[in-house]
Amino acid sequence: MNVTTSERQDTPRGSGPGAVQQPWLVVTVREIMVKLRDRNFLISTAVTLAMMVGAVAVSTWFSSRTTDYTVAVTDAGAAEIVRAADELAGGDSVTALERPDPGAARAAVEAEDADAALLAAESGWTLVGLSEVSNTLDGLLRDAVTEHVMARNAEAAGTTMAELRAGSEVTVEVLDGDADSALLHRIVGIAFAFLFYMAAIIFGMTIATSVLEEKQNRVVEILATAIPIRQILYGKVVGNSALALAQIALYVVVGLVALNFTDLVADIGFLLGAAGWFIVFFVVGFFALAAVWAVLGSLASRTEDLNSNTGPVMMLIMVATFGGIFATGTWLTVASFIPIVSTVGMPIRMLDGGVPLWQTLVSLAGNLLAAYVLVRIGERIYQRAVLQGGTALSWRQAFRLEA
Amino acid sequence: MPAASSAPALEVLGLTRRFGDVTAVDDVSFVVEPGRLTGFIGGNGAGKTTTMRMIMGILAIHGGEVRWGGRPITRADRATFGYMPEERGLYPKQQVLDQLAYLGQLRGMTRRDATAEATRMLEQFGLGDRLKDKLEALSLGNQQRVQVVASLLHSPSALILDEPFSGLDPVAVDSMVDLLRERTREGVPVLFSSHQLDLIDRICDSMIILAGGKVRAAGTAEDLRAAAPRHYRITAGHDAGWVREEPGVDVVDVAGATAVVGFDDEPTRERVVARAAERGLAEFTPIVPSLSEIYREAVR
Repeated sequence: MNVTTSERQDTPRGSGPGAVQQPWLVVTVREIMVKLRDRNFLISTAVTLAMMVGAVAVSTWFSSRTTDYTVAVTDAGAAEIVRAADELAGGDSVTALERPDPGAARAAVEAEDADAALLAAESGWTLVGLSEVSNTLDGLLRDAVTEHVMARNAEAAGTTMAELRAGSEVTVEVLDGDADSALLHRIVGIAFAFLFYMAAIIFGMTIATSVLEEKQNRVVEILATAIPIRQILYGKVVGNSALALAQIALYVVVGLVALNFTDLVADIGFLLGAAGWFIVFFVVGFFALAAVWAVLGSLASRTEDLNSNTGPVMMLIMVATFGGIFATGTWLTVASFIPIVSTVGMPIRMLDGGVPLWQTLVSLAGNLLAAYVLVRIGERIYQRAVLQGGTALSWRQAFRLEA
Repeated sequence: MPAASSAPALEVLGLTRRFGDVTAVDDVSFVVEPGRLTGFIGGNGAGKTTTMRMIMGILAIHGGEVRWGGRPITRADRATFGYMPEERGLYPKQQVLDQLAYLGQLRGMTRRDATAEATRMLEQFGLGDRLKDKLEALSLGNQQRVQVVASLLHSPSALILDEPFSGLDPVAVDSMVDLLRERTREGVPVLFSSHQLDLIDRICDSMIILAGGKVRAAGTAEDLRAAAPRHYRITAGHDAGWVREEPGVDVVDVAGATAVVGFDDEPTRERVVARAAERGLAEFTPIVPSLSEIYREAVR
């Protein structure tokens, strides 16, 4: 290795160095690029998306799956019963397969041309299956036989089925007319809460570990001589908030599109508003927490320290998540106004509608204020702690450090 | 050495820093002249790193000040400096070229310029085929080279290097010295710390000896040598033990016919030389003190 001096082109001194505009933006771009090149992150995002689409697809398939049954019959009576069973079957279908005699009908079952054979017995009917008769088909045919036989018996007794049934009708009356959509709201609410939980922790940990990485490897000393140190914090917070926003938005959009392709939800219109607000609340709530994560990273001295010192913020995220899911009535209303907790609480309240706009805006303003205050406090501690080598620090110790 | 006279000098005036009750750096003053390679010498805990961190503004100053070009240093000034921290600082899991480009950008270079310059310097350092490797995949010596590039990338106006030579093999040390010389020729003041006294003796234009947080000696090697007590080697007769009897002679060592001595004054020297001549003078040479002798003397 020989380093020669002659090849060196002279860069005009002082032209560029030290003149970086918006250093936080350079930091933000790096944060995003590093994450986008992180294979684990890309894979986990893809897997989550696949699971969401898969879950919607599977439930659609289960709800819309139909079966066609073929039943071998030898006479018109049996054929009539099969037709009645077909009417009872709803989504499924039951078709009769005419055979000249019971032997041929049995042979059809044996050859698996028919799922079962319905044969007249001395008294009543015999249902022939190969190794078994499917429960659904069994039930359908039994009901149809009962109906058929009872109708004939009624006729013999000089009355009709309608007369026999008179007064036995039970009608269901639901007091809460939105029963179906209430369940759906609940499911969507839980989805919101878990999206928040996942993203808040994944990207929060990303911030903490990336701060710690710079502290541990002393890169921060070089960075600190190049740009004001709080710019590093801003860059990280903005970069990871943007990533978290992009990921959440991706999940929500893909989820809504997948739902829209199915018949599960007649109309996703009601979801759009709440989902939009959820994203807005998520960004602000995450922003508020981001500064806390950065401080936790700067207080740690090794990765293991993060396991212990992230406890309180994890707790806060859990409270927000499960508060949003389980709180109802007044509790939910309260939760929807507590900064950070409202990130989940308010959008869930909004799913059921009836939240005045001013309440949403007040809650959002509370979150913004919390974000501002936490970033301000966070940058004070971060600046001090991140240049402090040695052992892990407590918040109190960090406050006492000199700048 | 054609140092540009207009280039600014880095001055440290009465710099002081305490950690609890311990004063790590105590009223330290020195000047790093433009275009000079200035060695910062001192044992462990002498206060070198603390002083350098205060110069770079990453440690609060408890007393005194740092001046750049005759006025108090600003954060913008420091942003134009090149700095290599004692415990190296780079991203282990990021590609070499990629992170150098990032550091260049933070110093105000465009990404394109930073990438081009980093590529050129890495190639000079024989790392042209490792540009896309993660830093942690490189040997420690090569990581050190990347670290050097990180501090030189943005054509710094001054260089503050904490132990830049530790961990480098002799060839890499020479390349590093060439790189630093390249900068000093342009009038950049360079301050670097080292334990390797022979290396400092060989390459430094001037040096600062620090011990116990205080400056014990400072100046060019010649200045320090001139200031150091002068010793001579005398070989005469069979046994040099007679020098012990002479008044005004500081006997450092006697071995057979040879003695190493110092003289209180010029007449004493002349008298002893005359005595030695009577006994059959074979050798009388002034001893040029090595830097390590000067250092040991200074920190004693």
